[in-house]
Amino acid sequence: MILSVASGKGGTGKTTVAVNLALSVGFCQFMDYDVEAPNAAFFLKPDIKHIQKVEMKHPYFLKEVCNACGKCAEFCNFNAVAVAGDEVIFFPELCHGCGGCLLVCPEGAVREKDVEIGKIKKGFSKPGINFYMGDLKPGYMRTISVQAALDKFIEKDILIIIDCPPGTSCPMVFSVKDSDYCILVTEPTPYGLNDLLISIEVLKDMGIPYGVIINRDGIGNDEVENYCRKNNIKILLKIPNDMEVAKYYSRGESMLDYDISWKGKFENILKEIKKDVRK
Amino acid sequence: MKVGISSTGTSLESNVDMRFGRCPYFIIYDTESNDFEHIENQSRQAMGGAGIQAAQMIIDKKVGVVITGNVGPNAHRVLGSANIKIYSGITGTVKDAIEKLKKDEFKETAGPDVPSHFGTG
Ligand code: SF4
Ligand code: SF4
Repeated sequence: MILSVASGKGGTGKTTVAVNLALSVGFCQFMDYDVEAPNAAFFLKPDIKHIQKVEMKHPYFLKEVCNACGKCAEFCNFNAVAVAGDEVIFFPELCHGCGGCLLVCPEGAVREKDVEIGKIKKGFSKPGINFYMGDLKPGYMRTISVQAALDKFIEKDILIIIDCPPGTSCPMVFSVKDSDYCILVTEPTPYGLNDLLISIEVLKDMGIPYGVIINRDGIGNDEVENYCRKNNIKILLKIPNDMEVAKYYSRGESMLDYDISWKGKFENILKEIKKDVRK
Repeated sequence: MKVGISSTGTSLESNVDMRFGRCPYFIIYDTESNDFEHIENQSRQAMGGAGIQAAQMIIDKKVGVVITGNVGPNAHRVLGSANIKIYSGITGTVKDAIEKLKKDEFKETAGPDVPSHFGTG
């Protein structure tokens, strides 16, 4: 079963939920798909054993051969090339590696080489968690390429927990696409509700079952809860707004370290979810 | 000489737009004939690299001088490679800006004014 944990915006406790669920279950595969800002390792403390480069093709331009005709710049949909004066200027962080500039260059002045856009790190966390994370190289807007590299490591017949990037744009959609169920983490505030509604729309469109965890319960108002009750959306858990939990969090410790009764609560969530998964 | 001005509208009474890459229009003004045309800035909708695309368009129009609000580093680099003079931080109407340029009242901008993705919003 693939279980993803998402939230409409950052800082709602999405990683906290994903990590504590993994620790409560004990045996699973944990995958940090938030490749622009992966931070689950801070809590799961895996011993990273394997590091693998994620590469893509980038063009390079032979100055002596290029006659500055401008065809490559005209072709490039991503504005990664400009031709100014008598030189080609290449902006690697915008390049999608489509190879088009190579095809259109009438002079044969474009070649390709492999460049690193990020890394996949694999390791093991106690008690029995196979840990994977993607790490996008800063400045490269190739989030999905790194996530696609992570996809290849998803195993069958084991519980997979995916920590999604915040928001509802392409990287989030890509992260949840194969999920059997998605947990939406939100805060009980008007903003939280607003973001939750957008996330729900996305999941409905994709046909992925979902449930809600309310984090920092006690701040804000009842709007999120009322909305869920009215629309028959399962509230899987409410995590109270507790300064002590925040203290543990800032030290990279889990909710289970703070209070072991959370283990049972997270295990129950999993039971609830199993009733609703697609298939 | 041709001057490219980032503009909020299509006339000389329009204001100089603050954003080079994402302004709605460019006014291309010819200081010899005093003719001008406006072009819609296609790069405005670009996902990324709007400044680069706008700079390329300015180069293709054989412009020698750019007048604008802010220029990011990528656009600055492209314009610079084509030896286009950049006057940034300019406010007021397009017309005033051209008058000031003709009277040589501007100072050239040495570097980019804003980081990448400024004005993406
Ligand atoms: S490979 Fe594609 S995206 Fe990259 S510079 Fe060439 S045309 Fe642009
Ligand atoms: S298409 Fe080839 S020859 Fe033309 S500018 Fe680009 S690299 Fe140079």
